[in-house]
Amino acid sequence: MSSDNIIEHIFTPFQESINSEQDVREEIRNIMKDIEKSLREIVTTLQIIHRTLNGEEISAACFTARSLFNVVQKGFEKLDSVIPEGQYYRYNDHWRYATQRLCFLAALVVFLEKGFLVDKVTTAQILGLHEKSRLHLDLEDYLMGLLNLATELARFAVNSVTFGDYSRPLQISKFVAELNAGFRLLNLKNDSLRKRFDALKYDVKKIEEVVYDLTLRGLVPNSGGGEAVE
Amino acid sequence: MSRNRGGKHGRNKPTVGEKGRQVVESIDENNPVIKMFLAFRQELDDKHDRFEKIVKHSRDITIENKRIIFLLHSTNTDVESKKQVVLEEANTRLKQIFEKNFRAVALLLKGFDSYQYQKAYTSGLQEFIEALVFYQYLTSGSFEKWDNINKSFQYMDNGDSISLLFPQIDYILGIADFTGELMRRCINDLGVGNTNDCFKTCNMVKHIYSGFLGIINPGNKELGRKTYVIKQSLAKMELVCYNIQIRGSEIPKHMLLNVIESTDVNTEDDEGYYH
Repeated sequence: MSSDNIIEHIFTPFQESINSEQDVREEIRNIMKDIEKSLREIVTTLQIIHRTLNGEEISAACFTARSLFNVVQKGFEKLDSVIPEGQYYRYNDHWRYATQRLCFLAALVVFLEKGFLVDKVTTAQILGLHEKSRLHLDLEDYLMGLLNLATELARFAVNSVTFGDYSRPLQISKFVAELNAGFRLLNLKNDSLRKRFDALKYDVKKIEEVVYDLTLRGLVPNSGGGEAVE
Repeated sequence: MSRNRGGKHGRNKPTVGEKGRQVVESIDENNPVIKMFLAFRQELDDKHDRFEKIVKHSRDITIENKRIIFLLHSTNTDVESKKQVVLEEANTRLKQIFEKNFRAVALLLKGFDSYQYQKAYTSGLQEFIEALVFYQYLTSGSFEKWDNINKSFQYMDNGDSISLLFPQIDYILGIADFTGELMRRCINDLGVGNTNDCFKTCNMVKHIYSGFLGIINPGNKELGRKTYVIKQSLAKMELVCYNIQIRGSEIPKHMLLNVIESTDVNTEDDEGYYH
């Protein structure tokens, strides 16, 4: 190859590879628009927990969220068919943020419905990322979602008390304390996950202050003022 | 630690975080959340370790390639046999990098998504391409296409064929860096009087620069930055050729270098004056 046909042998193939990559990204962006639409709807639906104590309304919201997750699953199904093999991490910037938000919302729904922490496999199933050929649920996205959940629960604890639910903060306190203990086991590098984890202690503090306020006033159910809870 | 009992006296007041502390003290390895996170820790540690191992290989590769490039610059001599010795050594060392260093990276990535670790070795890869292309240019006046070089990144491991991910962008960016070495080469050639080679290298960089100008890749800042650097290198080389042409007959060749270095090189697009 002489200097004369450099363009033909080097830069033309390169431009072609860029063009095909851009085509794939365009397809991904279009699919993400649909997924993100459902994501916004789930967020809006679940905001009801900060406005009411009514168990039926909250259950109904969870039910709606579940059916919206079905739409999300279809979206990821489409996405799975568009990603070339072995290139998840080439393109995942397009869906990373949405996945983190969806993990948070799935964990919130499971917390509201059942009170425990949803595991990663179940989260992947709710999102529609389980046993896909090209897609999977990235561990760090799942963890980021859990950290977002802690912040939401801190707010929920405050608002529960405002609506007269004095047992919810205790449930949240135990839940977030376990989450905190789990996260402290991890060896995190100085990345975005680490930075987000650093904020977890403020959520823990906020929740504990709510519990303290209740305990001090003897408002904690099943105990007198100051008595330790089993 | 004392537990609060019947706080009727009001002496054992609750404290902030007490409930949380009680929870933490009751947590043990059988707690399902803890079990989950212990497994997560393992997974994250594995990933970080792998990444760091690849970064280390990449650093070794970068250092070795910088040395090879330095070695290749010393072929700027009229003694053909000495030049051949240097080129052969460079060839051997470049093969080593293919067969040992990059193979080690490929083995580390066997069974994993290479794109997840691509940032770990992209700089080593670009530095290698720079050295490889420089060597090929010095031996044959041209260099291999991307898919040819890519073939050398296929390895066998116990009957499995594995390959190292070699993105085209790293090839292109390596070529961009290579033009910087050509600029050095051009100036050195002038210094020893090889004025013919000056025109050849300048010509090569002209073609490469045209190629870069034609790339449309939104969202890649590095490409834009490197294209700018090529432009600057090329301007210097074009000035060298200009001076050879115009002044070559006036002054002895070995003084041409002084003349050129004393002239400011204008690389700004807008103004046409020297500063």
